[in-house]
Amino acid sequence: MTSLSSSAAAARATFMPSSCRSRPAGGGRMARLVTRAAASSPKLPSGRRLRVAVVGGGPAGGAAAEALAKGGVETVLIERKLDNCKPCGGAIPLCMVSEFDLPLDLIDRKVRKMKMISPSNVAVDIGGTLAPHEYIGMVRREVLDAYLRSRAEGAGAQVVNGLFLRYEAPKEPNGSYVVHYNHYDSSSGKAGGEKRTFEVDAIVGADGANSRVAKDMGAGDYEYAIAFQERVKIPDDKMKYYEERAEMYVGDDVSPDFYGWVFPKCDHVAVGTGTVTHKPDIKKFQAATRLRAKDRIEGGKIIRVEAHPIPEHPRPKRVAGRVTLVGDAAGYVTKCSGEGIYFAAKSGLMCAEAIVAGSANGTRMVEESDLRKYLAEFDRLYWPTYKVLDVLQKVFYRSNAAREAFVEMCADDYVQKMTFDSYLYKRVVPGNPLDDIKLAVNTIGSLVRATALRREMEKVTL
Amino acid sequence: MAMATSTFSPPASQLALRRQPGAAGRYHLLSFPRLRAAAGEAPVEAPSKPLPSPAASNGAAVKAKEPEPAPLPRFRDSRWVNGTWDLKQFDKGGAVDWDAVIDAEARRRKWLEDCPEATSPDEAVVFDTSIIPWWAWMKRFHLPEAEKLNGRAAMIGFFMAYFVDSLTGVGLVDQMGNFFCKTLLFVAVAGVLLVRKNEDIETVKKLIDETTFYDKQWQATWQDEPKN
Repeated sequence: MTSLSSSAAAARATFMPSSCRSRPAGGGRMARLVTRAAASSPKLPSGRRLRVAVVGGGPAGGAAAEALAKGGVETVLIERKLDNCKPCGGAIPLCMVSEFDLPLDLIDRKVRKMKMISPSNVAVDIGGTLAPHEYIGMVRREVLDAYLRSRAEGAGAQVVNGLFLRYEAPKEPNGSYVVHYNHYDSSSGKAGGEKRTFEVDAIVGADGANSRVAKDMGAGDYEYAIAFQERVKIPDDKMKYYEERAEMYVGDDVSPDFYGWVFPKCDHVAVGTGTVTHKPDIKKFQAATRLRAKDRIEGGKIIRVEAHPIPEHPRPKRVAGRVTLVGDAAGYVTKCSGEGIYFAAKSGLMCAEAIVAGSANGTRMVEESDLRKYLAEFDRLYWPTYKVLDVLQKVFYRSNAAREAFVEMCADDYVQKMTFDSYLYKRVVPGNPLDDIKLAVNTIGSLVRATALRREMEKVTL
Repeated sequence: MAMATSTFSPPASQLALRRQPGAAGRYHLLSFPRLRAAAGEAPVEAPSKPLPSPAASNGAAVKAKEPEPAPLPRFRDSRWVNGTWDLKQFDKGGAVDWDAVIDAEARRRKWLEDCPEATSPDEAVVFDTSIIPWWAWMKRFHLPEAEKLNGRAAMIGFFMAYFVDSLTGVGLVDQMGNFFCKTLLFVAVAGVLLVRKNEDIETVKKLIDETTFYDKQWQATWQDEPKN
């Protein structure tokens, strides 16, 4: 930035752009970033605090707003629907409960058993390797989101019920962004809300897969899956089966590139499926999922039908000026499992921490480089997880044969342990090399057998 | 189905089940009581309905119920017991006839692919293909392929050795001592193994693109980074 004095430039936080660009992120060897306070950026005029708008009040927005407010930044959180029941699987890993200090009563169910069902109905139970204190938490999004927002409010953020319309970029280098939004206030009596504006120094776009902030900043598009889900209230005796159990169905009938699921919620189950490449056929896939689970959800009544897009990869641009994206808006959903809640909250938290550090607790202006530090750190921490899941999806969701091999592999204890370790704690641990070699051999064996059977299947005419 | 507010559309991939009168020797020994009965009356044909258009079937607005499709015959085989193949029924002269097991499993998977079934905890499928020993797979699938590839390699090798000898006068033994010839040999072997058809070249290229595509998507935000 051209307005810096040369002496201040020496005190800049070390940021090595060339090494970041030339080396692929796949090796996880991003340059070590030292996040020192940007002593070079100008102090805010008249000693006012940094103002940040967080657009969207889901897990990403709530976590970001709380961390910003705690760090001394003046935060405004805009959410269009405070009682929104976001369509979602609702599964959170164990590490989220500890990292975000979530109270246990937020969790409706603790899933400790999962059933993976192959196209030919081979069923494998996984979860036998879980320790008694380990589980996958199932939450209701409306409950989780409201809790995180209330925590943000408690930390000093201002929660506004309104619909973000657009923002205007500043005219001068250190000018303010102008946020335009529709303010909803039941007391004012106006149905559509009244148009209001306010000025901020930075914007965090946490408004989900159809992000308007992303559109305004020209972040580009991503491929997305459509996830379709029906909430089914089933009789109590059938609900007992899903007490601690979730099911995952794979197969071409259920989805050509994703999976169908039955996840237990507080007093009903969510039956759903998703797809990237065959979106018009989603109803067909849903019917197939219901057919596969027919005996177990018989007698159930559908109480809600919902659908939502799920990003498949990050947007081409995640930061522009002092505007950045977090969560689904940025596209931080893993492949293979389609997990997004944890990464949304974590990215919101990391972005907020980068802003707090870059602004020296809200006393200085932030810059794009501070926001890029959050991106670099997030990419560094979670790239292995994303890449591994991408490889798994490419290898095991290709065809019915691959899915059969996948389910067969899941029967192995080592696979279960590795899978749950990496899911629950978000770390890709190499493990014992001998076991890894055995695993590789078994995987290749399963794939070869399934492919061989596939070729035989083509010769069979029923 | 008791889900009153749902629109149930049967999977469009159902086939009319046919029973081949001159079925291969192994198959006619199997007893398919339900299938035979169905075939005796008429081939079981599940009505294939045109899928309701997306606009019409949004949400719970559509209350009209379509007539229930005829229940599909479930997969039945006398050798399929308790969710797995009963190996005792595959006896051939004292040992297990693994080829028959492979055939039966292929048939079961094909059936279920064409007519997916509901799973049930009582009839849980627990069959694992790894119970079939590795040599049975080798004998059935690998050996014929290996024979074909070795044959190709031998023919190419003979022709190339003759060709090089006629051009340069270097005999086979002297060719093996030359680095360039050894490289050509390596390329020929690798080519025979990897490229079976012309389409394989495209497949390999696509695979290389695929493995790096996700990395490129993640790197995109760093492409337009301002130079500090």
